[in-house]
Amino acid sequence: MTCRTHALKQTLLRSIAALTLSTMGVGASLADSRSVETAYGPVTVNGQPERVVTLYEGALDTTLAVDANPVGAVITRGGSDVADYIKSRAGDIAIVGAPAETNIEAVISVRPDLILAAPRTNEQQYQLLSRIAPVIVSDVPMFQPDSWERETRLFAKALGKEEAAERVIAKVESRIGEVAALVAARIPEAQRDATLVRWMPQGPLVMAEGLFSASILQAVGFRIDDNDLVKEGRPHSEPLSLENLSSMDQSWVFLATLNEDGDKALEAARQSPAFARLDAVEHDRVITVSGQLWTSATGPLAVLAILDDIEAAVTAIQP
Amino acid sequence: MLNALSPTSVVASRAFFPPLLAAGFLLLLVVLASLLYGAGPVSASDAMAALMANGTEEAWFVVTELRLPRTIIALITGLALGLAGALLQSMTRNPLAEPGLLGVSAGSGFAVALAILLGATTATLTTLSAQLGALAGCALVIAATRVQGLGNDPVRLVLAGATMTGLLLALTSMLMLMDQRAADEIRFWITGSVAGKPLSMLWATLPSITLALVLIAIVARPLAAMALGEKAAVGLGHHPGRIRFLITFTVALLVGSATALAGPLIFVGLVVPFIARAFSGPDIRKTLWLCVPVGPAVVLGADVLSRLIAAPAEMPLGVVTALIGAPVLLAIVRAGRMPSL
Repeated sequence: MTCRTHALKQTLLRSIAALTLSTMGVGASLADSRSVETAYGPVTVNGQPERVVTLYEGALDTTLAVDANPVGAVITRGGSDVADYIKSRAGDIAIVGAPAETNIEAVISVRPDLILAAPRTNEQQYQLLSRIAPVIVSDVPMFQPDSWERETRLFAKALGKEEAAERVIAKVESRIGEVAALVAARIPEAQRDATLVRWMPQGPLVMAEGLFSASILQAVGFRIDDNDLVKEGRPHSEPLSLENLSSMDQSWVFLATLNEDGDKALEAARQSPAFARLDAVEHDRVITVSGQLWTSATGPLAVLAILDDIEAAVTAIQP
Repeated sequence: MLNALSPTSVVASRAFFPPLLAAGFLLLLVVLASLLYGAGPVSASDAMAALMANGTEEAWFVVTELRLPRTIIALITGLALGLAGALLQSMTRNPLAEPGLLGVSAGSGFAVALAILLGATTATLTTLSAQLGALAGCALVIAATRVQGLGNDPVRLVLAGATMTGLLLALTSMLMLMDQRAADEIRFWITGSVAGKPLSMLWATLPSITLALVLIAIVARPLAAMALGEKAAVGLGHHPGRIRFLITFTVALLVGSATALAGPLIFVGLVVPFIARAFSGPDIRKTLWLCVPVGPAVVLGADVLSRLIAAPAEMPLGVVTALIGAPVLLAIVRAGRMPSL
């Protein structure tokens, strides 16, 4: 009998405590609780996250662009740290894995209150991460010209930084306008065809027209055509046979390399007679760019950095 | 055909020259195909027109600057691997003794990967490290055949080789994790390809190949004598130990050169002598002669396939040779009575 009363009392106490706590919390969560549409349905985020883990390069970029506080990130593809263009802003951020290889223990150890995951995070991984903190998996289709913009808005909403995101997007748009005007002034209409490739020892990978950096090139006035060499939904083609090099013969070739030494990659490419005879090579219109930035990154800061690269290349040409 | 397959060398010798001529003719056809077909937009008729000196500039470029160099490199690679396989099999009296299966190619490949990681860019250096790696691999194989029981059992020797290959591939993967730039280069090279290889690579290997051919001319007769048994060879005035050393050295030169040119191609050294023996019978001298047209034809044929299967990309050559070679390996092992050499 006593035992039962005791149990009843305890239940009662517990429910009162819970009620009080929830009434106290209501004020904060009503103001700041928001539901974010993700690939795995709506996710509720409360308040302004203070400790954000980004498992995707575009998420780290956005988080830094809106001045939120990332405490963990993954390395850039093929690197050993976050991408160079973003390194100084990221500071000494904790590394919690590689793209598609998250180190769950490392994520837990930085005690995140929000996790921004990669677009292709699978269900199992998602469930696991959700037990640590709310997880945002972008539902934005990849390789569309406005993918980065929609992703930025999505992540910014989760971060409670929507106004900052709009400011950054507006800044990017005005920069696109500036660079587009420069391109229009310096390069005649007929010579604005370009191709974006990554040089591999066995041959070039042609990047998809819809790839992030390719769509920026298009936004500032270049014409990019992957000649249907890239399969639907893939970021780039298979390494092309050297015999197909002529299909990437445009006025401009943007040559991306995963390591930073672009000149060396260009030198390696020049060894191949098939590359050396391209029009763009003969006219010195091959621009070496960082593959970390141009073929792996995405996000507003990456757009700004790519625009800087384009501006520098276009300014440097001899009229 | 039935005659040629007959084990008695009397019958085989009668049927020796027709297969040699046929293989030579086949090789010519494959060379022509290699010049005419590619993964690019230059079609066979465009290429033909270019060969007749009235094609487009583009076709001329593709045929002479892209298809011709890889054709030559594939020919030399096939020659080297075919001969190396025949020598190794005859010496170890094991029809499965193939440089790829025994880990000689993997040893050579690991050495080149190490050289690339350390920054070797010159063709000479790559060739040298490939040959040193092959030599080390050969020495291990010879040591393994001396282990009690292992030398007499072809399949167990291959198992030992597979272990070796697995270990070396793991070490190579480890090297690739250490440096991204080197990793791209090593990964491409390790799957095997003759595309886009500079002809300077070929010049760097030609001295070794020439030396190897001279050595083969010297050891062919003693090696044939050794097939009759070591005592018989000694009786005929040969020195088996010395011959074995020369052959090991020759195989290392050949495999090292081939690996430097095209990467570690597995199974070529198995398939080529297998085909050659089917027509030559057990006489190693005839087998070696037949390997001269058959080896290049097999590798070049595989290369032509590699361009056509995955156009506009290319299948790695090593994948194609493995696809061709694996059934042959199964056929030899399944043939109940292993042909003893």
